[in-house]
Amino acid sequence: MTPATAGLDGAAGRYTGSRVHRVEDPRLLRGRGTFVDDVVRPRMLHACFVRSPFARARLGAVDATEALALPGVHAVFTAADLNPGVHEAWYTSMGKDVPDTPRPPLAEGEARFVGDPVALVVASDRYVAEDAVELVDVDYDPLPALVDYHDGPQADALVHERYAGNVAGSLGAPCPDDLAAVFASAAHDVSVTIHQQAYAPVPLETRGIIVEWSGEELTVWAATQAPHEVRMFLARLLGVAEHQVRVIMRDTGGAFGQKVLPMREDMCVALAARLLPAPVKWIEDRRENLMAAGMSRHEHGDLRMGFDGDGRVVGAYIDHTQDVGAYPTPWPVGTAAAVGMLFPGPYRVPRAGFRTTSVFSNTSGRTAYRGPWQFESVAREVLLDIAARRMGIDPAEVRRRNLLRRDELPCTNPNGMPYSDISPAETFEQALAMLDYDAFRRQQAEAREHGRHLGVGTCTYVEPTTTGMAYYGTEGATIRIEPTGTVNVYVSGGSTGNSLETAVVQLTADALGVDLADVRTVQGDTAVTPFGAGTGGSRSGSMLAGAVAETAGVLRERIVAIAAHLLEASPDDIELGESRAQVRGTPAAAVPLAKIADVAYFAPAKLPDGVPAGLEASGRHHARNPMIWANATHVCTCEVDVTTGAVRLLRYIVSEDCGPMINPSVVEGQIAGGTVQGIGGALFEHLAYDEDGNPLTTTFMDYLLPTATEVPAIEYGHVETPGPGPGGFKGVGEGGAIGAPPAVVNAVADALAPFGVEITRLPLTPATIVELIEGAR
Amino acid sequence: MKPAPFDYHAPTTAEEAVALLAELGDTAKLIAGGQSLVPMLALRLAVFEHLVDLGRVENLRGIERVGDSLRVGATTTQSAVERSEVAADAVPLLARATPLIGHVQIRNRGTVGGSLAHADAAAEYPAVALALDAEMEVLSPTGRRTVASPDFFTGLWSTAVGDDELLTAVRFPVWSGRCGFAIREFARRHGDFAIAGAAVAVELDGDDRVRRGTIALFGLGPSAQRSDPAEAALGGAAVDDVDADELGQVAVASLDSVPSDLHGSSAYRRRVGAAMVADAWRAASEEARHG
Amino acid sequence: MGEIEIELRVNEAVTRSTVPPRLTLADFLRERCGLTGTHLGCEHGVCGACTVLLDGDAVRSCLVFAVQADGHDVTTIEGLDGPDGSLSPVQQAFRDHHGLQCGFCTPGFVVTAEAFLRDNPDPTDDQIREAVSGNLCRCTGYQGILAALRAAADAVET
Ligand SMILES: Cc1cc2nc3c(=O)[nH]c(=O)nc-3n(C[C@H](O)[C@H](O)[C@H](O)COP(=O)(O)OP(=O)(O)OC[C@H]3O[C@@H](n4cnc5c(N)ncnc54)[C@H](O)[C@@H]3O)c2cc1C
Ligand code: FES
Ligand code: FES
Repeated sequence: MTPATAGLDGAAGRYTGSRVHRVEDPRLLRGRGTFVDDVVRPRMLHACFVRSPFARARLGAVDATEALALPGVHAVFTAADLNPGVHEAWYTSMGKDVPDTPRPPLAEGEARFVGDPVALVVASDRYVAEDAVELVDVDYDPLPALVDYHDGPQADALVHERYAGNVAGSLGAPCPDDLAAVFASAAHDVSVTIHQQAYAPVPLETRGIIVEWSGEELTVWAATQAPHEVRMFLARLLGVAEHQVRVIMRDTGGAFGQKVLPMREDMCVALAARLLPAPVKWIEDRRENLMAAGMSRHEHGDLRMGFDGDGRVVGAYIDHTQDVGAYPTPWPVGTAAAVGMLFPGPYRVPRAGFRTTSVFSNTSGRTAYRGPWQFESVAREVLLDIAARRMGIDPAEVRRRNLLRRDELPCTNPNGMPYSDISPAETFEQALAMLDYDAFRRQQAEAREHGRHLGVGTCTYVEPTTTGMAYYGTEGATIRIEPTGTVNVYVSGGSTGNSLETAVVQLTADALGVDLADVRTVQGDTAVTPFGAGTGGSRSGSMLAGAVAETAGVLRERIVAIAAHLLEASPDDIELGESRAQVRGTPAAAVPLAKIADVAYFAPAKLPDGVPAGLEASGRHHARNPMIWANATHVCTCEVDVTTGAVRLLRYIVSEDCGPMINPSVVEGQIAGGTVQGIGGALFEHLAYDEDGNPLTTTFMDYLLPTATEVPAIEYGHVETPGPGPGGFKGVGEGGAIGAPPAVVNAVADALAPFGVEITRLPLTPATIVELIEGAR
Repeated sequence: MKPAPFDYHAPTTAEEAVALLAELGDTAKLIAGGQSLVPMLALRLAVFEHLVDLGRVENLRGIERVGDSLRVGATTTQSAVERSEVAADAVPLLARATPLIGHVQIRNRGTVGGSLAHADAAAEYPAVALALDAEMEVLSPTGRRTVASPDFFTGLWSTAVGDDELLTAVRFPVWSGRCGFAIREFARRHGDFAIAGAAVAVELDGDDRVRRGTIALFGLGPSAQRSDPAEAALGGAAVDDVDADELGQVAVASLDSVPSDLHGSSAYRRRVGAAMVADAWRAASEEARHG
Repeated sequence: MGEIEIELRVNEAVTRSTVPPRLTLADFLRERCGLTGTHLGCEHGVCGACTVLLDGDAVRSCLVFAVQADGHDVTTIEGLDGPDGSLSPVQQAFRDHHGLQCGFCTPGFVVTAEAFLRDNPDPTDDQIREAVSGNLCRCTGYQGILAALRAAADAVET
């Protein structure tokens, strides 16, 4: 369990690296947070979507007469009303030149999945809006649907007419002949197909947006990870200038990728707001969220890996195919390439190749989800265990023989990924030592004699964080030391659960040598903060550290100059700490920051030559690396009840290297949260459809999130290899969700190994486990 | 996800409640704890013009020992049962089943009468009622009647309670002598409705022979049900001669409408059901033997 | 359909209102009382984000109609901290143990924990897990939450 947070509030010292109390907590614990649904605007109206009940249907007339007659109903919009209002609909993060997939606000001509928004009702409250939705009469002509993406290339049904074979795009190449020859001549040539089910980010707060159009300014309150992307996207959508749009978010109730980009519903609400006399709010309900907010993880890989007689990898290839649903967000083809490029993982793989294909289906669209490329780890790590068993070598031993060692780094993997600053062998050994792997193997053998089935599984991965590319390459901060000497720091940020407010306050307090209690932060308001790309790709820690350092550096220099002047000392002798400046070694010769600020603002005549009035600065960090690598090993043990198929997780260990930690509690919280999402994906969660394309899991009764009774205690190990960016910090937001599914699958497979079971399909529900055992018998 | 509009009625007596039901006909529905009804209303899977709230009806709540039975008022919450020493003492099976229902927030509102009247196939209380031969007290506009539990559960979400009737109380017979009781279930997560479960009650004579043995299954058909073949196998048998695993197999062998869904096929449910019967039998017979 | 007049105590203040019968207690608290700390994560009784105390018992306010609460006593997350905004021991334990991240599930957990620890001052770890098993959190993996409950319980005990 997490050690208690040190009660450091208000005390001076070095905050970065310690478990300081979160600044977000008091408001959230007291129920005084501001989530989008908490925002009320005068005369505000409420929106609700009419959604297709068919996986695929030709859309005929929409008759809203009855709905409009209902008291309290203001408008019913159809595609004809809203869609022509679209100016442009591309995401800044992707750029406008990608061969983007379709993104109409409301379905036009054809509905393409159950839940596809067909019309938008606006009413005085959500209750009435839902009444009206039931009264909107849509003429549907059902068409044969493509539900299972596996059938895509052969299907007669086309999800989008202009995509032949339902293929949204493909990258990479079929297994080249020379690589095939490597496999053919390898001592062990292991081929396997691994399937992963659809599951989803499922933040506890659903999506939501309020849009208010004043005639000149569009003000938006949104549940988002990236307020500035929302601003740019909506400005382009509506054809208004960027500075006419203001996006505000204080608290967002989890996001995990689902809220990184505005989706079709957000487009509809923004377009509708232009046509309405009052602000309009849309809060997605849970059924809509599970039906239409997007799906992730649905993919499979035909894998091949060759090993020499000692179990050393000689080559690896993945032919990856992913389901992108009807309307993916964003363009899915490019991101899928990461699955192929990372497939070799943290191992010494001399030769490799990949191909990835994105296939449409008449289901909810693919969205980003915490470690969107995690299938590379699922595929590789599950394959390695299967291979180890086929070769008769312990899975841990196979990894040991192949893991990259420190003296081999930096190096570039055979698919072109330039690894540096990682420690896969160290995290692996640390995690196994924490478990006492050999002792576990003995315990397992003993248990087997008593008819009990224990298993252990591992996953080791490397993860690119903090991409330096394009839109993501810079991050800004503004710091204002106010006239009383208290500090406000402004970054794009916003609270979505990853503690950016606390991190920024810690970093700023240290950078300026002020008490933590003297620093506050303002985030999540595009009218106030500098531009930032938001939370995504495990970038915030490093980028914000850079932004704060850049900006604080300027102020620090100014503070020192003023202090030196006031104390009649040399700037070189001034040190900052505890919210004051003093001459090194002479505590009596000190001046509080409050005094310095007072001079800076109210007595500029007393400033030294060349120092500007005020203590306010903006700076922008520019990432110099294409990415910062992080890595981790997950180890999990379990017991399987072979009668019911129930899996009980016994121990769960994560040894990770995210460089120095800004706040260990926050790091561990990110690891735990991601890990439990991964456990959910391995054992519980499944966004399932029936043959006709009806979603089967649109309530929390059916879509099973892990609860406190299903999760093990998580144990953490830290290895610290500084990265090349600011402070040496690396990203840590996504890894847990990457490492957990394969570790859990491997643990279950290990427990069932005596039955001769090979696991190649997720999720491992109790029923599927029983089926596997029965099948093998 | 908001319910459709309805009118609200809050009678204060049971008679008033049934009179309202008679007057309003099938556009009305009783609401007790609301833990099953409100989700259906919110999802608009069910729509009623009138809700008749039992929350303010007097004399429907309470747990008391009446002679050889425990009488539990229909609007007694599951939490009240959980906290009741009288219940734990007189009807251990009822007490043991209760913590398996949902979560504490559900049990604080959910009622005994609501669970029985709702008659979910995978709910615990109907199986407990069946295993113990409980009797239901039903009030109709024309008077009171008592329904034996086998006649009470009539199929998928359906019971012998008519549209204009009210379940007012349930009487659980208090078993005495060398008895043992156990309930076992398997669910995907703690608190979920069971994939399959079994409740077993057994009374032994002085020679460790089964004097009375009942087995009720849940999650294994359209409603909870007694397993006649398994009970027949128990009849008069010496405890030591009963093979628990075999008993489990017998209990599920002749089931014909075992549900199948995303969480498990009928074959899987049968397998789990057999295991639950076996486990419950082991625990119950052990308790009967050794107290 | 007819609106109904209700009177209830919310965080110790007597509150009167006229409500449509279908208005849930959760929406009543959020929209009529401005108590937006009670969150809606599912509206069908599974996630626990909407947990409030009704006459002292933890209940899902999305599964109670405001009319049913007429004459009763409701405590929300906003009623648990001190008048000066100081955190309750349970709230403080959540803060000390990183028991929250996005904070959306938090009010439901805190309200549930307050009632649980009041009734079970000396719980086992398993009882703690079970007590919060009706509340979903997507951020924390429950680790900090369980640590917070343990600490709060231990603090009560000593
Ligand atoms: C997340 C969740 C998990 C749950 N898990 C379980 C579980 O594991 N096991 C389980 O058994 N239940 C479970 N439940 C359901 C819960 O136990 C319900 O409380 C119970 O099924 C119904 O009781 P109620 O008082 O809430 O009835 P209501 O919801 O008020 O009513 C249910 C039905 O019964 C009728 N009814 C109620 N009282 C009477 C009466 N006195 N006479 C005639 N008809 C009446 C109503 O008209 C309605 O049709 C769960 C519920 C939720 C939300
Ligand atoms: S909102 Fe009430 S339980 Fe989820
Ligand atoms: S803290 Fe985000 S859902 Fe629990």
